[in-house]
Amino acid sequence: MNDGEYVIQARDLVKTYTVGKRRVEALRGIDVSLAPGEFAVLLGPSGAGKTTTLNLVGCLDLPTSGDLTVAGHPISGNGARPTEAALDLLRRQHIGFIFADFNLLLTLTAMENVQVPLIWRDATAPGRARQLLERVGLAHRLTHRPDELSGGEMQRVAVARALINQPDLLLADEPTANLDTRTRDEILELLAELSTEGVAVLLATHDHELADRADTVLRIEDGVIADD
Amino acid sequence: MSWTAIALKNLWRRPVRSVLTLAGVAVAVAMLFNLLEFQRGYERGLRGELGDLGAHIMIVPRGCPYEAATIVLHGGKWPRYMEQSWYDIVKQTDGIEATTAIIMDAIIRDGGRENIIYMGIDDDYPKLRASWSYAGGGWFPADDSAILGSSVAARMGLEVGDTMTIEDGSRVAATPVKIGGVLKRTSTQDDGLVFLPRETLQRIFNLQGKLVVILVKLHDVTKTDEVASALRQASADADAGMNVFPLSELLNTLTALLSSTKVFVLAIVVVALVIGGVGVLTTILMAVFERTREIGMMKAMGAGRLDVFRLVWLETLMSTFAGGLLGVLVALLSGRGVVAVMRHVLPHTPADFTIGFTAETLWVCIGVSVALGMLAGTYPAWRAASISPIEAIRGGSA
Ligand SMILES: Nc1ncnc2c1ncn2[C@@H]1O[C@H](COP(=O)(O)OP(=O)(O)OP(=O)(O)O)[C@@H](O)[C@H]1O
Ligand SMILES: [Mg+2]
Repeated sequence: MNDGEYVIQARDLVKTYTVGKRRVEALRGIDVSLAPGEFAVLLGPSGAGKTTTLNLVGCLDLPTSGDLTVAGHPISGNGARPTEAALDLLRRQHIGFIFADFNLLLTLTAMENVQVPLIWRDATAPGRARQLLERVGLAHRLTHRPDELSGGEMQRVAVARALINQPDLLLADEPTANLDTRTRDEILELLAELSTEGVAVLLATHDHELADRADTVLRIEDGVIADD
Repeated sequence: MSWTAIALKNLWRRPVRSVLTLAGVAVAVAMLFNLLEFQRGYERGLRGELGDLGAHIMIVPRGCPYEAATIVLHGGKWPRYMEQSWYDIVKQTDGIEATTAIIMDAIIRDGGRENIIYMGIDDDYPKLRASWSYAGGGWFPADDSAILGSSVAARMGLEVGDTMTIEDGSRVAATPVKIGGVLKRTSTQDDGLVFLPRETLQRIFNLQGKLVVILVKLHDVTKTDEVASALRQASADADAGMNVFPLSELLNTLTALLSSTKVFVLAIVVVALVIGGVGVLTTILMAVFERTREIGMMKAMGAGRLDVFRLVWLETLMSTFAGGLLGVLVALLSGRGVVAVMRHVLPHTPADFTIGFTAETLWVCIGVSVALGMLAGTYPAWRAASISPIEAIRGGSA
């Protein structure tokens, strides 16, 4: 990720789903660029195309057309044709995800959950996992399982897990949807802090109040990003 | 966190379901184990028994040779007799090291509860019996004397020098005989027999000039076929109705008889394995469906198809492997019961017959369990590997 100063560079991204004979234009040509350490909020109503955008920049799905570069790797446009394995590797090395419902493994402790992304490399890093859990304020919850944690604590574990591979990009899809306002603000604060430490954060939400803490606000509606 | 730990924890999530699945595999593997070890034990027992007989060829009267063989091996009432003169024909045949002519009869009392089998022998008999030695006394001191097998002696409380009376209503007139010898335990049917000089038995039981079996020991076992055909020729020349029966053939016949049973049991084992395998497959598949979100999340976090495949496959292998081990354990615990049942079912079972434990059978069972896991795990693992992270994470709350 040395060349190019942006973590995400997307130009004219189009995503069209075909459901039976119907074509759904989820994204109709959006431009997104995100610099390291930038905290951007993707703000829009339900069905606007937020999740679709995150899926594309998160390399979980490929755009129908448009240019996309993530962490210096060409994903779409200019003849780029990454393999599935290449995308897996890219996600593993450069991208962390958090979701509204925390998606932790219920059988594992906080420490173990944080280290799950390392399994595929047959690695463990208990020291780093502990450090990250301390960083998100869970020093006292290391060996707790998800059912012994509050929603806010679970989301903190998910954040620590997303950070274990030292990603350049953190993608958060409605990370506070299942939390009360106080916890929401705490998580938001945490993400904002992380961005100041160098991680680019892209947070998708319909909640206007979250936009206040952002460096950049991208308003999306009907698959198009409105000019500010 | 290791792969195995994750797989184990996944299995442990639904312990009852996992244990039931595992039990299905265990039952099939236990059956397989018993089948293989049964085969071994049976052949071993039979070989030992035929070896104890010390003979290579058995000559019986025409009739069903298997029935005859069973009676020779286990004792019982003889259906047909042959002429003593045939013994001389046998003796004159080339290639024979030793031969002995035997007459048998039994006295059955209490509707079969007390059953004494008498065997009339000559002094060639001990030559064929490597295991013969005396606990007391020795060879017949007189015509009206007897040698007792160890268990008969114990059962009747008789010692050397005592007298026993042979009688059977109007058929056998009361005849006292002196105990001339008691044998040491041989672990063969000899332990349960009362031996009399051949002529004495023929006289007491009114079977003058009759024999039930002639046993032949050869100089060279590889010449069995030649000697057998020479004997058949001699029998035909003398117009005698000998049924010349190499014991190796008897072994083959009895094992062939067993193998038809075995094929049947094997078919059941295969069905059990398939059922066990399908049980594993559905369980793991259910687990994969239940964990769709979790697997999708793993893929989002950078797990490749192969990683997910490996994890689910490992889970399957672990359950069938554990099932296999449990099955072997069950087989070892149930072995005695199986032997008892088989004694009822089969026409002939060797006296010294157990279901044992051999490393080879263990490896076969473990191998089959692992192969079963590989087969059963492939489809669920493939399904898991094909889960789309987008759809998994989108679809419903966990
Ligand atoms: N796999 C798909 N197949 C068909 N249509 C889809 C698919 N995924 C998304 N869409 C459609 O694309 C549009 C954008 O969906 P998307 O999930 O990106 O919205 P969103 O902004 O995340 O909404 P929400 O706030 O409700 O999560 C919607 O109209 C949706 O129905
Ligand atoms: Mg969405």
